[in-house]
Amino acid sequence: MIRYTVQRLILIALTLFLIVSIAFITVRMMPGSFLKSRNLPEDVRLIIENKYHLHEPLIVQYKYFVSDFLRGNFGVSLGLQPKVPVFDILKQKIPITLQLNLFALILIIPLATIFGITTALKKNQLYDHIANVLVIIAISVPSFVFASLMQFNLAYRAGWFPILLSTEKALTWSKFHSMILPIIALSVGAIAGLTRYVRAELAENLNSEFMLLAKAKGLKQIQAVFRHAIRNSFIPLANMIIPLFMGILGGSLIIEQIFGIPGTGPLMISAINANDDPVTIAVLFFYSIIGLTSILLIDLSYGVIDPRIRMGGKR
Amino acid sequence: MRLTQHSGVLNNGEVDEMSEYAIEVNNIYVTFNTYSGKVHAVRGISFKVRQGETLAIVGESGSGKSVTAKTIMGILSKNANIEQGSVMYQGRDLLTYSDDQMSAIRGSEIGMIFQDPMSSLNPVMKIGKQITEALRLKQKMSKTAAKDKALQLMKDVGIDQVEKRYNQYPFQFSGGMRQRIVIAVTLACNPRVLICDEPTTALDVTVQSKILELIKELQRKRNMAVIYITHDLGVVANVADTVAVLYAGRIVERGSVEDIFYNPKSPYAMALLASMPDLETDTQRELYAIPGTPPNMLFPPQGDAFASRNQFALNIDFAEQPPEFNVSKSHVVSTWLMHPDAPEVVPSDFVNRHVASQDANYSKSAHIDYQEKVLQVKSLKQYFTSGIGKNRLTVKAVDDISFDIFRGETFGLVGESGCGKTTTGRAIIRLYEPTAGTVIFNGRNLALKMKDRERREATRGIEMIFQDPITSLNPRMTVKEIIGEGLRINKLCQSEDEMMEMIYSILDVVGLTKEHATRYPHEFSGGQRQRIGVARALVTNPELIIADEPVSALDVSVQAQVLNLMNSIKKKLGLTILFIAHDLSVVKYFSDRIGVMYYGKLVEVAEAEELYRNPLHPYTISLLSAIPHPNPKYEKTRKLIKYDPKMHDYGDKNVSFTEIKPGHFIRCSNEELHQYLAKIK
Repeated sequence: MIRYTVQRLILIALTLFLIVSIAFITVRMMPGSFLKSRNLPEDVRLIIENKYHLHEPLIVQYKYFVSDFLRGNFGVSLGLQPKVPVFDILKQKIPITLQLNLFALILIIPLATIFGITTALKKNQLYDHIANVLVIIAISVPSFVFASLMQFNLAYRAGWFPILLSTEKALTWSKFHSMILPIIALSVGAIAGLTRYVRAELAENLNSEFMLLAKAKGLKQIQAVFRHAIRNSFIPLANMIIPLFMGILGGSLIIEQIFGIPGTGPLMISAINANDDPVTIAVLFFYSIIGLTSILLIDLSYGVIDPRIRMGGKR
Repeated sequence: MRLTQHSGVLNNGEVDEMSEYAIEVNNIYVTFNTYSGKVHAVRGISFKVRQGETLAIVGESGSGKSVTAKTIMGILSKNANIEQGSVMYQGRDLLTYSDDQMSAIRGSEIGMIFQDPMSSLNPVMKIGKQITEALRLKQKMSKTAAKDKALQLMKDVGIDQVEKRYNQYPFQFSGGMRQRIVIAVTLACNPRVLICDEPTTALDVTVQSKILELIKELQRKRNMAVIYITHDLGVVANVADTVAVLYAGRIVERGSVEDIFYNPKSPYAMALLASMPDLETDTQRELYAIPGTPPNMLFPPQGDAFASRNQFALNIDFAEQPPEFNVSKSHVVSTWLMHPDAPEVVPSDFVNRHVASQDANYSKSAHIDYQEKVLQVKSLKQYFTSGIGKNRLTVKAVDDISFDIFRGETFGLVGESGCGKTTTGRAIIRLYEPTAGTVIFNGRNLALKMKDRERREATRGIEMIFQDPITSLNPRMTVKEIIGEGLRINKLCQSEDEMMEMIYSILDVVGLTKEHATRYPHEFSGGQRQRIGVARALVTNPELIIADEPVSALDVSVQAQVLNLMNSIKKKLGLTILFIAHDLSVVKYFSDRIGVMYYGKLVEVAEAEELYRNPLHPYTISLLSAIPHPNPKYEKTRKLIKYDPKMHDYGDKNVSFTEIKPGHFIRCSNEELHQYLAKIK
């Protein structure tokens, strides 16, 4: 198990390096540069070019970039907040995005599990049919539509929630209150998708032969479902959580914009618009770390859920 | 919706007799709601089983055997309706019980074993926990007491190192061991009635006879009533005291095992017995095959359901359901043939009428040309490796085997699952790339490394028929496309019209019609699908056919049809067949020569008759001793001869594949050769 974890960590480091390299090259290849700005005096431009080695060929710049990067130095922002280290900008923005995403995840997993299990148990009954219609609506309507609708109806007209996110730094009740709508907007689609998945998996496991044997040995239906069917249907589920989490992160790009949340989403968009390359790369790097860590956690959790993987067996 | 009617049988006078029977099933009628309508799966089945007695329920797939068992257990799927009937257990009707009430009966009063041990255990739960689960939850046993009980149970079902095994997961056990665990799970709460639903169908013959022994022994010790569901008449002869023969949801005949096997009265039982090839079947004649297919239970036929497939059917058979006639006190049969006015039909009539109708010069071996070798396999090796460095694992699936197949011959390859017989077939047709050795076909060595195009060129003339007719046909293609694909790829036809012409003629050969060409595979029955598989293989006009277990997924009556079809086509077209199967009686009937494989090695090759009369290799002897025969007298005395692979751990001794007498090869060391030679004399 330890060996496996170490192997995975090395692989992750390699992947991260690849991602950052590709990000560096693609970002540099994008048209436009903040140096091309008309307001910039010629001498200032030269100074900046020399300082950041911008006149050198791309490959040499890449060398400088890598050596800085390996020392944990992301450089300073060029366009958005000139001369402020990128790391400090990120440090302000990351907590709020992470908070939002984690709250969404905390909401999604239990709700999706509950809906999935109940619909599977009541398959083809009225409850299941109603839930199915709702699920399809939730999957097909984009999250920003939900966000706008809720903002207008619940926040603006009913006045139950603040329209925008509270600017308080600490996580207080009023701050949490203002986070509720963004969290719901982020979760709806994911809850629906996951519900469908849990329902399908569980329905299949309910018809499996080991459920028959569980009942044949005298377990009540409810005991058999909870002791045998559910754990088995969670195995493929773990795999779903990776794209799910990445999906929420992607969704938060837009949701943060709508609710005026100063997170990494708006930061990335404005960094790209301002041609602020160091910030763009740093945000991409942050997203990759989140993605790869969640993949690692899920791969490791497989071993806990499924003994066949832990012990290297096959079916 | 449960429409329970007490059928009044028990109400008067017979109450005293009640305790005599462990379980009584009275006139149950079960239907299923499906999208296409109401399926009448079980149409009024009644039987009684005494304590300590074994009742075998025999029937083909779809005859309602499993539905009957699930009705007793109360584990029918949600779309099932029990329309009428009762299941009496200790004076109570189980069909009136709610699901929760039934959970007190299941396991502790009535236990059930399922067909596939690979899927009936929870893959992520330790087997110890699966055994103790019911004890802990239902009997509120303490953890240590439950564990002690479980360990004892595991010993009882023949598992060693129980302490270690207790904490293992199902995937760490083989199929036979898993079925033992399932038995231990089922017996944990000491049920008085045990229902076995095809418990050995998914297992190898040698494992099967061990499991059958185990069930019989446990039954003796615990004095359980056993309801044994199977389609295998050989197994029935082995385990049963009484037998109920099921057809289309009804019991057509019921009696002691001797009644059914030696004195069958219903046409279905007679036909079923006639269509099973056993080791005694005359291989020079065509097998008796029941014509047609079982009825569609969406529209259960009026009258006797078997009438349309019965060549001796009377007019009344098509109009009216036959009543039950008592042959003797124990033997009840439901057929109009028992009516005093009916003509007399005896079992041999089925075979004789059939023999009279067939070709006088039907003979298989006459077509073999022993001068010409179609396929020569020499020291073929097929290894599979996985992992790198220290973790490198090599599986020797096929390890140095050699054999020749002559023109017009059927060469049978038998062995247990995992012995490499399927791999051999696939390596020959180059689905795998052989590790070493030569395979000579049409003067070319197929085992060489080849480019894709060359390989296609070289293996043209070899075709394959697969085991599972359901999964081996693409469900999105019509029959026409499936059969025509080979023609198109190999560019065997010039125009679309010519292709259709060839497809129609091959459909005719395999007994299907032009109209079938535009349909999809799911519209056909299992036997018809296998005919499509045969047609697909034949259309390119191959010289050699590799048939990988072509009949093992089919019912007995359909199996006979397909075997006859393959035999007649083979004769007509002068084909050569490599026949891979695990069912020795089928292989014996179908093949001219047989090779026995064990763990990647060919251990014995001989002519079918010779191999069966004088098996020499201990493994062959063990394999032959494990086959159940549809003959109760033989079965009661049959002893399984165990094969201990350790005796063939040759170390560095010189082992060779030697011709011990003309045509009979055996794998042995020098010393053994002398022993074998002494044995022949």
